[in-house]
Amino acid sequence: MVMTSPLSASFLPLPLAVLLLGGGTLPLIGLLAEKTGLRRLRELWAIAFSALNLISIYLLYQELRASPGRVIVSSLLGSPPLAGCFEIDVLGVYMAGCVALLGFLAVVYSYRYMEEESRLTEFYTLVLLMMAGMTGVALAGDFFTLFVFWEMMGVSSYVLVAFLKYRWGPIEAGFKYLIMSATGSAFLLLSMSLIYGMSGTLNFAYLSASLRGVEPSPWLLLLLATLIVGFGVKSAIVPFHTWLPDAHPEAPGPISALLSGIVIETGLYALMRVTYLTFTPSVYRSVFAALAVITMTVANIMALLQNDLKRLLAYSSISQIGYMLIGLSTGTAYGLMGSLLHILNHSLMKGLAFLAAGNITHQTGMRDIEKLRGVGRMMPYTMLCLSISLLGLGGVPATNGFISKFILFSSAIGAGMPILAVAGVLNSALSMAYYLRVIKNFISTPEGEFEAEEAPILMVAVNILMALLIILLGLWPQPAIRYADAASKMLVEGLGRYVQAVVGR
Amino acid sequence: MNALTPYLVSVFLLLIIGLGCLMVKRDMIRMLIGLEILFNAANLNFVALSLGRAGFVDPLGQSIVMMAIVLDGCVVAVGLAMALNAYKHYGTLDVRKLRRLRW
Repeated sequence: MVMTSPLSASFLPLPLAVLLLGGGTLPLIGLLAEKTGLRRLRELWAIAFSALNLISIYLLYQELRASPGRVIVSSLLGSPPLAGCFEIDVLGVYMAGCVALLGFLAVVYSYRYMEEESRLTEFYTLVLLMMAGMTGVALAGDFFTLFVFWEMMGVSSYVLVAFLKYRWGPIEAGFKYLIMSATGSAFLLLSMSLIYGMSGTLNFAYLSASLRGVEPSPWLLLLLATLIVGFGVKSAIVPFHTWLPDAHPEAPGPISALLSGIVIETGLYALMRVTYLTFTPSVYRSVFAALAVITMTVANIMALLQNDLKRLLAYSSISQIGYMLIGLSTGTAYGLMGSLLHILNHSLMKGLAFLAAGNITHQTGMRDIEKLRGVGRMMPYTMLCLSISLLGLGGVPATNGFISKFILFSSAIGAGMPILAVAGVLNSALSMAYYLRVIKNFISTPEGEFEAEEAPILMVAVNILMALLIILLGLWPQPAIRYADAASKMLVEGLGRYVQAVVGR
Repeated sequence: MNALTPYLVSVFLLLIIGLGCLMVKRDMIRMLIGLEILFNAANLNFVALSLGRAGFVDPLGQSIVMMAIVLDGCVVAVGLAMALNAYKHYGTLDVRKLRRLRW
């Protein structure tokens, strides 16, 4: 069903228009703030626009919920196969909702965290543009539209990683991130050209109609390989993960939270969408299953060896990507629902973990777990939030991490791949080893000669809000499950309708 | 022989050259040039595949290449800015000398 609506009357979807408007006007606002001396104007502007983004996602969701399986098509100058376009369905709105939620929290957190830095106008502009890039990837209905927003997200995140350019670490990590991630983008462009050569179009619905279910040929397998390399570098699947443990810790706190919490998941979401639209799951199941096991195991073992708090959390992000790949490799609606739910839950848990680690580095200037022994006693609220997020990442019942991991592992058994469930459970147990080590070190008696006070109230308030959300979604997960279920059903069962909505227009 | 074969062979060679450049070269500027070669391999593939579709040159592939060139330009510009900053910090562009993070 395709209908015009007030929200899609323009050629840009509403959330994207809000973010691009906010990011585009922020340099002017920054100039105005400099001139008039109202320094806080740009922070408030960024917070206002990310809140508006959250509201517009909600409006879009309300509109889509009115009739299930609906696809809103909005395109510039012409109909889908010829013009770049957006095809908005529940799945895209789900992902854009995760981006908007974590983005809003991270921007509010930056209000205090970044206040001593200079060049804040650039910072908030880039954050809003990075969120716009991720929203665009989520809502794109065309591989090329996806690529444009993919690069927008990429370029903003390279600059944000290297934002603290007066230190050596961020520059070097940023350059490494740029080289590896742009190589991934080049492979993505190559995979686009292969799709174009095989089907003559880049529109998702049209290429799904012409490629899906075709007998696997060498060209299709080459396409799958380039897609996995292209998206895999950004989402840090293990052979391509080496940039992540350098880039994520070196970024400022809220940016680490955004990068680990949602940017790598956006890569995974794009991989999920494109591979599911292009191939039947039987083609890629075994590849993704193998990648899932390798990703989980390697990342967990590497995380055990880390002494740097943020580096440990970065490795833990890679292992969580492995759990999400389990859901992708099952190829069933239940498994994909688990992956999507884990994307939401992980964005809250890892976002909170990085923000709490940001509190600690902001107050003490250190990231070494051994040297920070006893810091939890000086910063009780931060410590409480950090513990909740780490226990959630380990999958302790009563946190939302338990729910999504349970769904993922049971979907692996349901899809006839019990080995994946076994690997997942063993890895969860292994991961508890380093989460508990952090908690134990931070709450034991202080030994180091450092003093720390509790972080500023706004930062702690954001942390406590996220911790409450984690507990709430752990005890009462039905709304999130219903939403994720609708999103995954849209991809799996609504595929025919999706194609019909665009092609049969 | 298919008319596309020479193009596809050159794309393959460009990919190998680009990846080799990224792996072997230790100068930041040369690594960025390797990146540009990789992007151009993909662009050449687009242009080659847009020839001869349905008897005429397909404008979709050509227009995508135009946009992709702009995007590569952005990425390489950011990379050059980082190389400049690294040079200010270290006085060298050799990535072996940076090495404080593990590559």
